[in-house]
Amino acid sequence: MRRRLLTVVFVLCFLLVPTMVFAQVANPDWWKKAAEPYKGVVIHGVSESTPPSKAIAEIAVPAFEELTGIKVELETTSWDEMYNKEIQDMQAGAGIYDFVYLEQDAVYSYMEQDWLTDLTPFVDNADLTEPDFDLPDFTSFIDYFKGKDGELYGIPFEAFLKTYIYRTDLFNDSDIQAAFKEKYGYDLAVPTTWEQYEDIAKFFTEYGKEKGIELYGHVAQAKTHPCLAYELCETIWPPWGVYNWGINLENMRTSVENGGTLNSDTAKEALGWYVDMLQYAPPGVRTYTWDEAAAVFGTGIIAQGFLYMENLGWLAHDPDRSVVIGKVAIDIPPAKPGVMEAAEAGEGYIGYYDGGAWGIPYCSKNKEAAWLFIQWCTRKEWQPEFAELATTVVRKSAFEDPIIDELNVAMGGYYTVMQEKGHLFAGCPPLPMQTPLNELYLQWISRAVAGEVSPEECLDNLAKEADELMEELGY
Amino acid sequence: MRVKKTQVWGLISPTLILMILIGVIPVIYVIYLSVFKYSVFSKTGMVYVGFDNFRKLVFDASFLKSLSLGLTFVAICCLVEIPLGLLIANVLTYEFKGKGVFRTIMALPLAMAPVSIGSMWVLLTNPDVGPLPYFLGKIGVDYNIGVNATQAFATTVFMDVWHWTPFVILTFMAGLASLPKDPYEASLVDGANRWQTFRYITLPLLRPVILTTLFIRIMDTFRVFDEVWMLTSGGPGTATRFVSIHLVREVLRSMNYGYSSAMSLFLLYLTIVICWLLLTFISISQEEV
Amino acid sequence: MKISKKGLRLFFIYVLCILIAIATLFPIYWTFIISAQSKLEIFSGPNFFPSTFHSENYTRPFLQDVYGRYLANSLIVATGNTLLVIVLAVMSTYAFSRFQIPGSSNIFFWTITNRMAPAAVFIVPFFLIFSRLGLRDTRIGLIILYCIFNLPFAIWLLKGMMDSIPKELDEAAMIDGCSIWGVLVRVIIPLAKPGIMVTAILTWIFAWNEYLFASILTNVKARTITTGLIEFVTVIGTNWGEMAAVSMVCLIPAVVFIGIAQQHIITGLTFGAVKD
Repeated sequence: MRRRLLTVVFVLCFLLVPTMVFAQVANPDWWKKAAEPYKGVVIHGVSESTPPSKAIAEIAVPAFEELTGIKVELETTSWDEMYNKEIQDMQAGAGIYDFVYLEQDAVYSYMEQDWLTDLTPFVDNADLTEPDFDLPDFTSFIDYFKGKDGELYGIPFEAFLKTYIYRTDLFNDSDIQAAFKEKYGYDLAVPTTWEQYEDIAKFFTEYGKEKGIELYGHVAQAKTHPCLAYELCETIWPPWGVYNWGINLENMRTSVENGGTLNSDTAKEALGWYVDMLQYAPPGVRTYTWDEAAAVFGTGIIAQGFLYMENLGWLAHDPDRSVVIGKVAIDIPPAKPGVMEAAEAGEGYIGYYDGGAWGIPYCSKNKEAAWLFIQWCTRKEWQPEFAELATTVVRKSAFEDPIIDELNVAMGGYYTVMQEKGHLFAGCPPLPMQTPLNELYLQWISRAVAGEVSPEECLDNLAKEADELMEELGY
Repeated sequence: MRVKKTQVWGLISPTLILMILIGVIPVIYVIYLSVFKYSVFSKTGMVYVGFDNFRKLVFDASFLKSLSLGLTFVAICCLVEIPLGLLIANVLTYEFKGKGVFRTIMALPLAMAPVSIGSMWVLLTNPDVGPLPYFLGKIGVDYNIGVNATQAFATTVFMDVWHWTPFVILTFMAGLASLPKDPYEASLVDGANRWQTFRYITLPLLRPVILTTLFIRIMDTFRVFDEVWMLTSGGPGTATRFVSIHLVREVLRSMNYGYSSAMSLFLLYLTIVICWLLLTFISISQEEV
Repeated sequence: MKISKKGLRLFFIYVLCILIAIATLFPIYWTFIISAQSKLEIFSGPNFFPSTFHSENYTRPFLQDVYGRYLANSLIVATGNTLLVIVLAVMSTYAFSRFQIPGSSNIFFWTITNRMAPAAVFIVPFFLIFSRLGLRDTRIGLIILYCIFNLPFAIWLLKGMMDSIPKELDEAAMIDGCSIWGVLVRVIIPLAKPGIMVTAILTWIFAWNEYLFASILTNVKARTITTGLIEFVTVIGTNWGEMAAVSMVCLIPAVVFIGIAQQHIITGLTFGAVKD
């Protein structure tokens, strides 16, 4: 009975939330007037079922429909399926979708094929763009969605880092600190070098064994799955000094003899290290994708690791999934000598800045209505609430909001890292062929992780085949 | 006979028209694509290359490896499922208490979508929290499908057997049900024992159904994707990257349409040849009997 | 002596059945356990007898989300496709099995090859055709499309069954003055009923479980339950509990359908059953 009551309350809350959040619309009259010509139009969109998209589907869509009379049908689906649908639609010119999710790493493929609508004319059109839209207010993340001549192809609504996360309760435990100091001769702290990271990983895994508790000092997404290749390219290689997937972006070649770094000694060493480190992760680590890596961290058996910070929202708030609420903190990853300096100078980067934007396919039949909806999702006055729902910040002004300060505490200083150190991170390099490339990287790296081939053999072969693939694709 | 040709064609034509619409047109399109170098991510667009795609297949090491893996998978699955299905279907011809319940239980795996089977087996075999590693650990087996290639392969086979043996049982049951009963009465009179009855009457009579079921299993295990992709994604390394998985990744991830069309046609041709050979071989051996 | 032999056999049968039942049920039982747990509990080690029941896993997808509609779509598509396939397959198999048609074995074999074709590569042409014809995101589109793998299957399976029906029976009926349709309805269908029912069950199951085509060719209105299941898999975590719960609910219509159809196999079985 009590459970049923709870369910009712839960449902009621859900019904009330939209009206609460959308009580404040800065210019309701402008929206009504701008949407007048498109009343009754149905626009279709597709996105991945992540918290930002869910928040949009559940809250932004109903409010928008009510205010403007434009009907929105937003599909939220899995990552793989979303890609296929977008590409099928735009490739056939079918015009099914009026707005699509653009993941930062995929946008270059779409631009290369001229699949997206340049949004600049819309931004300049006062009839279609809200006076308060304020394009310069977006963080520099928006630059990833600009074409060669400054055309704008997407408006970001989701941005996050993949960075270092650790357990403050373990790191601040005085017994643990003493034990660590005794063993390694220096204080337990956030690692700044990879050697320190390894020491800490080893320490916690051994500590767990000694004390008979389930505890590991490392976690990875090492399943044979696209995420494995992404982890190397995004998280492991850059702080070792191998940037851009090991690709020489001038001539789009990867092997050392062609000016790339994919089979360089550093890359091989890093891969060897990555495989070796798996011994400090839970025994099942070779069956983890990004999904299980975060889920396992949530059960409190991991002391440190690298996670997509999309997960931070539920890690910091959802007691159904996380026992580490209030016990996590965020920092930048350790780096090899010289890498941090290079990153500060803008010549390199230490980690991955990911996210997504809304874009309009060239074949959309309702571009204007779609543009109105995109603005609606990225409205300035909604961003603080949106940040709370989706733990993502894309506007500078949102950082100023007191809500962010509150969230920042719960999320272990994530927004501070994002705001102050965000420039050290970078998105995916402009690789229009990143999907087939990732598939190829996965095939070889997974064999190295499984021990079928040595890291040297793996990367030599991979570099050779990646060069061939590039040539075949006309790069 | 007094049956008019038009009447017979009337029986087949709806099927033919439908199959031509949804079967032939796409194949023509795929044949057309297969002579082009054509990837969505290519800078060059569609380039006519003749039969280069097919030539390339023969030298594609990762394709050939996945092909042999795929064929091994098909062979093992069929070798396990058909005899097992035959055994259980036969057991179900006896009368015993609880038969109805057992029959319903047995058919349950079929009712689960491959997508959810794959996901549930991920949890079942998870080295940290899954019950399978837990039980096997108790008897001293270190079970980890993320590390051990043989175990991963065996698990995919086991999953397929779990999922599809009920299918085999059901078709055999139906086959057994529609057998004529005269030969059995005759054998009873001759005093044949059960094994002899099975060997010399049931098996030959059931042969068309067994053959049909075998072919369908060959086709389907050759195309298996959803479950294995969810469970191992072809790993560890390339240990379970069957040719069907290789192909789907080539289409959906690499979007290499020209090459994957050639690959599909090759696989289609291969399946036809395998089935044709089996059919011929079996009809020859049938004549000898 | 005779009794003990029979008893031994019965014992053997029971052991076998129980072993198979356990092997079959365990993954399903495990799915049920997962569906009763919260995400945290799932990742906290094996727990064979959970004490709590996390009912939100069942209520949320169906009450707040649109899984009810997905379920209805799947039911309509699977049932519609089964009806279409069975009618067409019975007609054409009868013709293949009983009459000399020029090139019939070639036509028959060609029909079958449609099931052999790897599905993935056909996504592109089907997407183009369906978009052109306005069949995308419609249930009728899926009903027609699923014939591509179900019709060959049904024809092949039924052919084996119909071939084993003695030809003398329908020849006799024809001599008695039955038309070709009369023979089909009065002789063949009743005799092939167990085969038809099994084919119907399996056709229905294949359509019910299909994922790849449904994922690309439906968007909102005609989405099926399998595409809904995959929505639980996201970058920030698979919603195992709800996925398991929806899978459990999906079992119900399938079990009902299999149960009803199996009644007809039983009737068939006793007709041709091996006498002890």
